[in-house]
Amino acid sequence: MIAVDHDAVEVDFDSGRARLRLRGLEVFDDHDIANSLTLGIGIPEPPFSQPGVPPVRAKISVDVEWNGALSMAAIDNQDQHFKGTFLSTDATIVWSSEQDGFHFESDNPADPKANLVSVLGREKNGVFFSG
Amino acid sequence: MNEQSNNPWKKFQEKWVSRRNLIRGAAGTALGAGLVRPMLGHARDEEDDRGHGVFFGPHPIPGGNRGLSPGPGLQPYGVFVHHNPLNPATALANISDPSQITDFDGFVGLTNIHGGGTGTDTNNGMATRLSFRADMGFSQGNFVATDGQVHKGTFAFV
Repeated sequence: MIAVDHDAVEVDFDSGRARLRLRGLEVFDDHDIANSLTLGIGIPEPPFSQPGVPPVRAKISVDVEWNGALSMAAIDNQDQHFKGTFLSTDATIVWSSEQDGFHFESDNPADPKANLVSVLGREKNGVFFSG
Repeated sequence: MNEQSNNPWKKFQEKWVSRRNLIRGAAGTALGAGLVRPMLGHARDEEDDRGHGVFFGPHPIPGGNRGLSPGPGLQPYGVFVHHNPLNPATALANISDPSQITDFDGFVGLTNIHGGGTGTDTNNGMATRLSFRADMGFSQGNFVATDGQVHKGTFAFV
């Protein structure tokens, strides 16, 4: 989670559309899941032992679009203390990564069928839950 | 991802695999920019025009994975972890809180998308077809920050 400019996100909730655009976001490429969780130290003990790999600095650009509602649900979850209106939507992502010696470019245009599940919501949680 | 396990570390790992694996090779091996983690950032109050450069971050949602890592754990590094990756098999009405932060009032977006692309070794120009799975989203709205005050902010989750 990282703070970004307000303009990086556009939301038109009533039409089920939103967009997240990031340009040149500096990240650490952690290589694999174990390395990410241990920040390059790796996991010394079995059964999930993996050697550590130093994270590499990279810059990514991302363009995610939520493209219209497929279904809608009103949720009032007393256990997790959140409530709101949620939309299941189509979505696409186009992104790229740049680092020393390596460049990645996702397919553009993105395949809309590649969306597994995406959600757009207008919600309140925590102290705002009961408000 | 649907494998049942009583091993908390394995469950932890399973949750993370879906949200952090950005690029996987065609054979499923992490390659190149296998996982990305944003460099630490703090909330910028969008209504703060004082220019003091003092920023306050949000609180992560309770019950997440923060601090469950073996070894040094994530806590000292302040890594925000959401514990509710979207599952295509879960009905919309039954999803867990998709927000990454608590004490929040606003819009959230979350995705679970896979796809393909081209990775290029910039040293020799060799291109390789790669697949990826991305779990990205945003939060935009009002939140109670670590200073106890309500701020307005926009956060990206990558």
